[in-house]
Amino acid sequence: MDVEIEQIEKEKAEMVLIRCHEIREEIREIAEFVRSGQGRLSGMMNGAQYEIAVFDLYYIESVDGRTYLYTQKNVYETSYRLYELEKLLKPKRFQRISKSTLVNLMKIQSIQPAFNGRFMILLKSGEKVIISRNYVKAFKCALKGEKENDGI
Amino acid sequence: MTEFKQFLINKLILFFMLTTLILLAIAFIGSAFDGDARFGYDAILAPVEYAFLCVLPTFVTYSRRELKPKELLFRIVLEFLLIEAIVLGCAFYSTLIDTTRISVVLTIAGSVLVIFLLVYIFAWFKDSIDSMKMTQALVELQKQAENESK
Repeated sequence: MDVEIEQIEKEKAEMVLIRCHEIREEIREIAEFVRSGQGRLSGMMNGAQYEIAVFDLYYIESVDGRTYLYTQKNVYETSYRLYELEKLLKPKRFQRISKSTLVNLMKIQSIQPAFNGRFMILLKSGEKVIISRNYVKAFKCALKGEKENDGI
Repeated sequence: MTEFKQFLINKLILFFMLTTLILLAIAFIGSAFDGDARFGYDAILAPVEYAFLCVLPTFVTYSRRELKPKELLFRIVLEFLLIEAIVLGCAFYSTLIDTTRISVVLTIAGSVLVIFLLVYIFAWFKDSIDSMKMTQALVELQKQAENESK
């Protein structure tokens, strides 16, 4: 596939146009990448496709190989894998808190102790999610804007 | 640091905590039941030995994968029963402790329960301080993000 970038005048709206023979998975991924870069992700709910602002996401969970995006009221299924979203949303202050969950740090109300070295996150939506023991250190580093290897 | 190394460090901290608590328990129980007894220097090692033996059953709570709440509860109960068995076993084996008196046996069993609960309360207290620090860091991060978006 050829890639062409055309510079336009400031009055015109910027856009990405993909010309393809058919809408393959690869094309969907490129479109998704562009949307996520602008702070949007697409997700399916009741057979319909929606665009969700990353800002509105509370957490993302992987269940039985499927990935779900949780907003305050709705749950959307996305074709992304959790590790892809982790990479994509790291700059947007999303943090891995367990093997199956990513949380939006901006949507956390407070953190409380759970049992056996784990912690519980109370989200602004009232939902609760658990930080696994193995992810506590990385989570603390993320709160301080450090990489895990920098140490606390 | 691997999770198991961290687990071992936690066990080392637990060992010192238990040594102190067992020393206090022996002092209280001893003065209540046998206040006039005198011991040699070897008795000083008793809390250390008991603490070491009590740390060993705590390894049943280790798991590489995240335990479900029910699994964790089961292992904690098992851990407690093993500690009780070890401590009471040592008490019955020892010639210095009068295990023919039921009150002595019950007090020892009770003090094991108290120490067991205290250790978990201390751990909870430490985690509470940690969670408060994390919440404070989170508030700072959210303020910073708000300021950046303005």
